Amino acid sequence: MSLVVLPLVVLWPAAIVASLLDGRKRRTGWFAVAALGAAFALLAVLLTRVAVDGPQEIVAGGWPVDVGIRLRVDALGAVFACVSVGVLAVSLAEAVITGIRTRGVPALTLFMGLGLTGLFLTGDIFNFYVFFELAMISAYALSSLGGGGSRVGPAFIFAIVNLVGSFLFLIAVGALYRATGTLEYIAVAEAAAPLDPSTALLIAISFFVAFGVKLGLFPFHFWLPAVYQSVSPPIAAMFSGALANIGAYGLLRFGGVVLPREVELGAPALIVIGALRTAYGALQAIARRDTREVLAYSSIGHAGYVLVALGVGGPVGLGAAVIFSIANALNKTLLFLASELRGRFVATAFLIGALSVAGVPPTAGFFGKAALFDAGIDADSAAAVILLFVGGALSFVYLFQIYQHDRWRPRAEREREMPTEHAGAGQRSVAVAVAVVVLVLGLWPEPLLAVGEQAAREILAVAGGG
Amino acid sequence: MNLVFALIVGVLFGCGVLLLLKTDLFRVVVGLVLISNAASLTLMASGLSRGQAAILPAGESGEPVADPLVQALTLTALVIGFGVTALLLALSYSVYRTRHSVDLDVVSDEEAAEAAELEAREAALDSEHEPDEAEWQERRHDEVVP
Repeated sequence: MSLVVLPLVVLWPAAIVASLLDGRKRRTGWFAVAALGAAFALLAVLLTRVAVDGPQEIVAGGWPVDVGIRLRVDALGAVFACVSVGVLAVSLAEAVITGIRTRGVPALTLFMGLGLTGLFLTGDIFNFYVFFELAMISAYALSSLGGGGSRVGPAFIFAIVNLVGSFLFLIAVGALYRATGTLEYIAVAEAAAPLDPSTALLIAISFFVAFGVKLGLFPFHFWLPAVYQSVSPPIAAMFSGALANIGAYGLLRFGGVVLPREVELGAPALIVIGALRTAYGALQAIARRDTREVLAYSSIGHAGYVLVALGVGGPVGLGAAVIFSIANALNKTLLFLASELRGRFVATAFLIGALSVAGVPPTAGFFGKAALFDAGIDADSAAAVILLFVGGALSFVYLFQIYQHDRWRPRAEREREMPTEHAGAGQRSVAVAVAVVVLVLGLWPEPLLAVGEQAAREILAVAGGG
Repeated sequence: MNLVFALIVGVLFGCGVLLLLKTDLFRVVVGLVLISNAASLTLMASGLSRGQAAILPAGESGEPVADPLVQALTLTALVIGFGVTALLLALSYSVYRTRHSVDLDVVSDEEAAEAAELEAREAALDSEHEPDEAEWQERRHDEVVP
């Protein structure tokens, strides 16, 4: 069996089995973690295969090429899938060690992993939509379960807002099919090239709005902080470290591969929205005191960088977007996982995450920021470079505010907000392990940089060939 | 034909949005169902053509074949919409069970009141006890033991 389908073949039955078991039992939890770990290992192998041999593809069910559903993996998809599933595995491990109180959590996490893997590995827009919905529906259910049940309001708003987004996406898919007569990324990219710009721009804007609504891009982000606040830290880590990757991936895939000309047309608007968003996220984060709210606004701000990098475009801009998104996903996972634990090692881990977000070497975040600076200089845009610098400085301010607020206070006061009775060595070691990954990627960034470069090259090859 | 579809989709979507803006959760769910149907109709309309059923081997008689892809897409979209509606209804029911109301205004007022109450309690706890020097020492001692 081809390596491309194997992660799905592992996750699918595991998700079904886990949904039949009682997720509150540790055994079920560890079973789900093991399945995600296995999928992660397979995706890592797949990623190295893609890095060596180039994109891999397979047509499901042995159908002829244009009839069957095609799975296609390039560097962009493989690296996002690998990171997302890894983040899910780590976050679920943390949740299991903490103790899961609702039975659905392991199964829903597996379904989310399945949806994410599928959408990163598919070569077909509609297939993307189906897996996307799978991941999102699991997320709606998780957000309503994860908080303990008292706050269903944010979960409901999360679901409604995102569903409107997904139906907009569906309408955009219909329009794209009408205009190009196909739904495969590369074929669409070829067929969309000679389209009338006004038609294609309308479609591109529909996609942008759909992704914007779903992933909390700047003017459509109002549901996001409430959701991150109402769920437990491991689930918030899943949302910001794995689910939010869809945003960056979608923008790169649909903007970079499918409709590159329209992105070029809209580049100034993208850069302005990205910049506004970065500033807005950082300022809001400074104004907040609650750790998770700060991190939520910080996520809103950081996705702005991806927009700016996409607006800059070219090999440098696209590569920067990929590298930054990966580093950012790891940072946010680390910060959310470490946010409500106490102890010296966890404090160090949190500090590493904070430094990584601010872009201080030797952390993975440094290379993300460095790539963005490179893109700014490449675009000859002083404004972009200044924005990055100010954004980095502001993120220092808000992260150290919460560091100080959470860790430098009398013990009794902190203990009320961060109860220690659950925080065992296991939980701490999970957070510390993520911190080590962030550090290792900061000390040995070649794989990350190479993958980013390759992803950008492949995107441009398709866009250029069309 | 296109005009008819466009009008229907527009009306459905408009009604859906109108219902989404209500505060009653069940109206919101119905609004979403309308929007999902508008999206399905758009998909259908995007590849509407007359012709034979597309069963392989296709087009032997030389007649044009109806586009099967949009039908498959619409079917999938309908199934997803169905699942989503079920999930939303379950969520609404759990809201009703915990709050005894399906009015978003009432629910969010209650949640805000609870949050405020919690905060007030914490503020009271913070100000109630100021540790003296001996306690500080003791705490520092505690801190060393992880």
